[in-house]
Amino acid sequence: MEHGHEIGSHSLAHFAGLTFNMDTLIMTWITMAIVIVLAIAATRRMELRPRGWQNFLEIAVMYLLEQMETNMGSKGQKLAPLIITLFLFLVVGNELGLIPGFTSPTNDINTTLGLALMIIVIVHVLAIKNKGFTKYIKHYFEPYIPFVVINIIEEVAKPITLSFRLFGNILAGEILLLVLGMLVPYFVPTLWLAFSVFVGIVQAFIFTMLSISYLSNSMQDGH
Amino acid sequence: MVDFNGTLLAQIVNFLLLVAILTKFAYKPLMQILAERQKKIADAIDAAESERREAEQLKLEYKQQLVEARSKAQVIVENAEKLAEENKEEILKSARAESAYILQKAQEEVARERELALAQLRSEVVALSMAAATKIVTEKMDTELNARMVSDFIEKLDDQKIGGLPC
Repeated sequence: MEHGHEIGSHSLAHFAGLTFNMDTLIMTWITMAIVIVLAIAATRRMELRPRGWQNFLEIAVMYLLEQMETNMGSKGQKLAPLIITLFLFLVVGNELGLIPGFTSPTNDINTTLGLALMIIVIVHVLAIKNKGFTKYIKHYFEPYIPFVVINIIEEVAKPITLSFRLFGNILAGEILLLVLGMLVPYFVPTLWLAFSVFVGIVQAFIFTMLSISYLSNSMQDGH
Repeated sequence: MVDFNGTLLAQIVNFLLLVAILTKFAYKPLMQILAERQKKIADAIDAAESERREAEQLKLEYKQQLVEARSKAQVIVENAEKLAEENKEEILKSARAESAYILQKAQEEVARERELALAQLRSEVVALSMAAATKIVTEKMDTELNARMVSDFIEKLDDQKIGGLPC
């Protein structure tokens, strides 16, 4: 990267009239590759008695499935691959930035907002499918008609808060890591690095849990 | 720092691609193994439950059998005691009877012996007195005495045996 450590800047590529952040895309593909390798490694020689990596993945998957079961009921099973993939992608992506020479794909607002918008689109599609279009529209005017403003703000705020929370945490973490590395080398950055591992998992978890929560709202039939 | 561009769309596509790949290669086998394990665990629990119930049943049966055996043993012991008591009575009775018989026999024997002894004694006395008498007679007998005795005898004959018959 010619830009050195200029934080938050991206090397750009133009294709079909659109601009792409190539470093984000490359990190995303690396993350995808890692996730695919891990998932396939965990499920390659599946055994009834779980061992090693399979055990870890199973714990994560079982936890997510349990959360989905309690929040969405049995209807949520169809979304399970999406949620599990989301969590794995975010965990791996968040932690990837902690390796020197790599950056997190989630330190780009395009990634986080992309994921958040995708979730929100699914939420609204499911809501219309579950409640019917008229009921879905009516939902915005409840309990009183003036509430439509608040409801719309809420709906708009959902993807924004979801994406900016993750983006801000990860980008700030990486910035702070670099800054601390320059100011007080070795010990303090190491501490921060350890904390960032934790933050990465927590942020992935929060993003996933909120997605489940939004999705479960749209799965409920009437209210 | 915050500028939106085509990356956003690319990321959505990337992510959906990842979802598709993972669903095909990881999610399905994982779900399969989870379902399999769940079934296995459920089966194991069911089996354990049924075995436990069976064991309980067996335990109950054994307990009942034990009670039965105990009562049976009690009956047997009681019977044996009763039998022993009866035997004892019988043995005592027969022993008593035998002893009575033996006593009676002994008494009879004693009586007979005594009679025999008496008879012997008597005959001995007779023989002795006869011997004495013979001795006396041989020593003291003379013609005069002999004659008197004969006459006495004849006289007595006249009085007692012949009576008043004319001869």
